[in-house]
Amino acid sequence: MPPPDQNIITFRGVTVRYGRLTALRDITLGIPCGSSTAVLGRNGAGKSTLLRAVLGWQRLHAGEIRVGDAHPHHARPRMAYVPQRHSIDWDFPITVRGVVEQGRYPSLGLFRGMGRADHERVDRAMEELGISGLAGRQIRRLSGGQQQRVFLARALAQGGDIFLLDEPFAGLDLAGSEELAHILRGWEEQGRTVMAAVHDVAIARRCFAHAILLDTGLVAAGPTAEVLTAANIDLAYRQAGGVPAEATLR
Amino acid sequence: MSLHDLLVAPFGYEFMRRGLLAAMLLGVSGGLLGCVLVLRRLALMGDALSHSLLPGVAAAWLLFGTSTVALFLGGLIAGLLTALGSALLSRLTRVKEDAAFGSLFIVFFAAGVALISKLPTRLNLSDFLFGNVLGVGAADLRLAMAVSGCTVAVFLVFHRSILLETFDPVFHRATGGRGGLVHFGFLTLTVLNLVAAMQTMGIVLALGLFLLPAVSAYLWCDRLASMLLLSVGVAAAGSFAGILLSYHAGLASGAAIVLCLGAALLGSALLSPRHGIIAALRRGGAR
Repeated sequence: MPPPDQNIITFRGVTVRYGRLTALRDITLGIPCGSSTAVLGRNGAGKSTLLRAVLGWQRLHAGEIRVGDAHPHHARPRMAYVPQRHSIDWDFPITVRGVVEQGRYPSLGLFRGMGRADHERVDRAMEELGISGLAGRQIRRLSGGQQQRVFLARALAQGGDIFLLDEPFAGLDLAGSEELAHILRGWEEQGRTVMAAVHDVAIARRCFAHAILLDTGLVAAGPTAEVLTAANIDLAYRQAGGVPAEATLR
Repeated sequence: MSLHDLLVAPFGYEFMRRGLLAAMLLGVSGGLLGCVLVLRRLALMGDALSHSLLPGVAAAWLLFGTSTVALFLGGLIAGLLTALGSALLSRLTRVKEDAAFGSLFIVFFAAGVALISKLPTRLNLSDFLFGNVLGVGAADLRLAMAVSGCTVAVFLVFHRSILLETFDPVFHRATGGRGGLVHFGFLTLTVLNLVAAMQTMGIVLALGLFLLPAVSAYLWCDRLASMLLLSVGVAAAGSFAGILLSYHAGLASGAAIVLCLGAALLGSALLSPRHGIIAALRRGGAR
């Protein structure tokens, strides 16, 4: 990875525990500014915990995380989070535009309504992701790829420059995955920082310049080709199908 | 019977006007709350919560008589104890949330029935359980006004937080939202409305005024704003029709209102062009 002064997110000796269970062990690494990074590992390896820690949701047992020069709590306006698809109720009575507008809510506070600048931001985000024509449609009546683009547009409308995606490829068909891969590559070219939990090694190789391989501890981090070697993957996934993830007790 | 006898004459009585106004006011706030209950999949929890208010209300009656404030506080305390108790049980033991809530509410409900059967008054248990529009006094009406106004105000001020917490709590939290606070506030509002609706609807049936309009509206609407408005409209119309039905047919008012709202639900489930049963069958079964 590049020298630390180019890193937008830095982890120094980060350890997270849930009771006696260690979810992340002594992680030290940097996420380069304007890069796309895939976070990989078997179930329970700490992928989601790592994202949650960047968002400042996770009490750290040891170590520290910096986003720019700030504690994650103070960097919140810079970060946009895209949840897993399965956590969304697709029958919810809401339209595409309604979801994208939510990206503006945090900056509105309690009493201010959506202003012209807010509406323009929403328009631009929907245009960039090619969903302007679907604005009035209820979200169930979209393809998987379109649904994912709605949530990416909401993240864009927030106006941050760091994007944290939890398993964005999960549940997408081939066409949807291709669509998403194309968008994320475009984002990287535009200098946006993307960090995504990814299940599929092949997708990580194709779409992400950098990779982090976890096994509660750090197996490897750096350019994707150097990280995702057969030896590293074997090391990170050796427990898959064997000892269940919950057994990683200390 | 003329149209006048059917629709207007009943409201020549003071108690009918009070009952109608109370039911319609609580229909407005119940219609709003019901939408959140339905969308957050808390419908069954709301039902359990309403039953658990009984011992609090009965104890308040025993200690302080007919004071509305005391009844209301008694109900609130019982409701919060149930919510807290089941949260403790599910967080600290292996008992899951639904089993914890289900077990506690039935114990609370039994305690309420036991207390009422020992009350040294001519109080009627069925009025507590199923509502009696005759009993709506001026104080009850004032309570309904306050609770309904308060609920509408909360929805107006916090509509974005309520939408985010209902639709995508993880995103709400990621953007600095206070999910726990919204949840607690929502629970408190629900208990307030249930207690205020007790006189007309009864403890057992009060949730119908919240739930049925919201489910009906859910079957028609693809936008939250329209769902909220339609739900409020259905609740108010159902209350009006129900109070009339209760007068003409001599039914408990809570039961009459719930039956009218049930008809609205049945109609919606059958006829909604996009999400109804007939439309689904025409499409060939599943959605």
